Amino acid sequence: MCAKPATTAKAVPPAGESARDAILGKLRATLARPDLRFPPPAPEPLTAATRMTVTRADGDLDDLAHRFGRELTALHGSYEIAETATEARLALVNRILTWISQEEAARKGAVIVTGQERSILAWNEDKLPVEGIGPTLTDLGLKLITPSDLRTPESRDKVRHIRVGITGVEAAFAATGSMLMATGPGANRSASLLPYRHVALIPYSRLYRTFEDWLREQRDAGKLVDTYRSRANLALITGPSKSADIEMNLTLGVHGPKFVHVILFDDSPGDPDRQYRPSDLFDDDPL
Amino acid sequence: MATATATSAATRSPIDLYASYSDRVRTALDNQHLKTALNRSTIRMSNQRVASLAAVDGQLLRDQTRQMKEYVLRHLPDLLEQFEANIVANGGQVHWARDADEANRIVLDIARRANTQKVVKAKSMATEEIHMNHALEEAGMVAVETDLGEYIIQLANEPPSHIVAPVIHKRLEDISQLFQEKLDMPPTFDPEVMCSVARGKLRQEFLTADMGVSGCNFAIAETGTVCIVTNEGNGRMVSTMPRVYVALMGLEKIVPTVEDAILQYQALARSATGQQCTVYLSMTSGPRKPGDTEGPQEFHVIIMDNGRSDMLARGYGEALMCIRCGACLNVCPVYREIGGHAYGSTYSGPIGAVISPLLPAHVTNPEKLPHASSLCGACRDACPVKIDLPRLLLDLRADQVDDGDTAWVDQQAMKGFLFAMQDRRRYEQAGKLASLGSNVLAALSGGNIKYMPPPLSAWTESRNFPAFAKKSFREQWSERLARKKSI
Repeated sequence: MCAKPATTAKAVPPAGESARDAILGKLRATLARPDLRFPPPAPEPLTAATRMTVTRADGDLDDLAHRFGRELTALHGSYEIAETATEARLALVNRILTWISQEEAARKGAVIVTGQERSILAWNEDKLPVEGIGPTLTDLGLKLITPSDLRTPESRDKVRHIRVGITGVEAAFAATGSMLMATGPGANRSASLLPYRHVALIPYSRLYRTFEDWLREQRDAGKLVDTYRSRANLALITGPSKSADIEMNLTLGVHGPKFVHVILFDDSPGDPDRQYRPSDLFDDDPL
Repeated sequence: MATATATSAATRSPIDLYASYSDRVRTALDNQHLKTALNRSTIRMSNQRVASLAAVDGQLLRDQTRQMKEYVLRHLPDLLEQFEANIVANGGQVHWARDADEANRIVLDIARRANTQKVVKAKSMATEEIHMNHALEEAGMVAVETDLGEYIIQLANEPPSHIVAPVIHKRLEDISQLFQEKLDMPPTFDPEVMCSVARGKLRQEFLTADMGVSGCNFAIAETGTVCIVTNEGNGRMVSTMPRVYVALMGLEKIVPTVEDAILQYQALARSATGQQCTVYLSMTSGPRKPGDTEGPQEFHVIIMDNGRSDMLARGYGEALMCIRCGACLNVCPVYREIGGHAYGSTYSGPIGAVISPLLPAHVTNPEKLPHASSLCGACRDACPVKIDLPRLLLDLRADQVDDGDTAWVDQQAMKGFLFAMQDRRRYEQAGKLASLGSNVLAALSGGNIKYMPPPLSAWTESRNFPAFAKKSFREQWSERLARKKSI
């Protein structure tokens, strides 16, 4: 492995030398040169102690939820905060029915039949952080579609005109209004990608101040590398799909969802103040 | 406002990329629409960057990103090997390409074995660098660009003119005209309508393509993860929908840890478009796993050299820290005037002026690019990794002199200058001669000199030349001294 002079990329490699060995060998030979102008001889890596956290968010979980909502609103998304999982389910249903009636009104009587108007694309119900969504939607004449395979053209045709997707999140970050999605069995990528509208359900237990906070928690628990390697894909989503390619004009919904609506809710079980009791209904003395 | 005929002429970029450098620049400067488009976008983008970096500790972010990238370059071979081992362990495949031809051969090989008819592509400068679309089309495959800006310029049959805003050289009116011609869009200047037309066309392509191709904004060594950054969602689409997903990465794109990746991601988002986070960051570590609903069956990563190891060996390793945010383009007074196409290379602006002459690309007059700068330093101040671009441009110029790659006239002029400067009397004589000659010429032009005989006419063709002072400083000094003594 001798220090080779700089050659043009068209140089014919010696027979038998793989591209891999040629590239790595050349890099090693170059970096071994004491007269090399750049990089410096021993740059320090960033460490947990020195690496900055770029953004910050303060306060308790309620404050973080509001912060998340404000950040998302600034990006043309929308949000609401529910006090319990039950309220989150009602908020979800309400949101979907509102959207359906808005779309019907916007069509002004025009009939476009796709057969998928009353279908909703979602993660498997056991992956959603709120229970009972499927039966509730069924009661309203809507259908929750949780595909097990979306690779064939036929399976894609069954979902391609669906207008709404429902997902949970792996984690959510208040300082930037971002959601981390981890693909896996029952947690598809399509529900947050294909439909025009995406609703994400975020329990407080998955709400973090910043991405860096979540990374720190995962790293300290020794899980970070495995979290990445055990999934085919993770995606960070911050607001609705957009482009400024047409002369810096903001356009929403280029390929992904045009509407991103987030429902944050408190899922802490141990807080009695958060639970509705019968006495709540009678807080004013009727007499 | 704009009439149909006026826009139609401007829809095609009039710049011939293979014309000489001076022709490219002249054509760019004569194009009023280009100037309008550049002014509308570059100033806004750089203002957004400044605001976004001021909202956090932007200086620390730049310092730390630089520190991390310096570490990466020092440990490049080890990090690449760690990355490769993890990708393979995750079920992906790694290929190494010494140059553009080898990278294209690998892509075609993957595509043929997967029986590919149609390829959907996310925006990628690396694939532009090796002209991958051309290679795919020659092999009989259809390559569809899916970034809205890239889709527009693919319809117009043009290359991108900006690292992050490929269609920055086109006005709204130009794009509307193009969509009317190519996509049968009804006449409208509403960007929302134009966008939804493209969404409909491209959705069909995503769902039916056999292979997805993207570049790689950064890759994580410790996990074997390829990260792509988009706002539109096409990066998620190409890495999710097709059977085969191929990512092409320059070998300098590696970072050690997930935390390093997220730091660079934020430096990139803030510097490129002034966002805290882009809308999507798609992180792929492997092919679909058992039980996954979707995702590619095959995941390939091509690690490409194509001149990068030469760049390091020649002492220009600092330019390999570039994270391709485009901030230096937006602030560059030269880029703002001439736009990207005048550089005649995939990479334009200050960073393009540094790396284009160093990469094995087909550029006409690459030796002129290091001179396409006023060395004002705005690029260095904007760079999220604090690359000293003016220094690198000067180094490239110095290399040209060392290699004797300068014009005969310049060489003679510098020799004459050296001769005059080495002796006081010769220096004074030369000064007198220059003063006399220039004042005669100035008198003929009535003020500044507007014409000089060849070869000095190369200067006066495009700018005026002020005459030398009638008396030099030294003459005035000795005269005043003499007067003072006489009093």
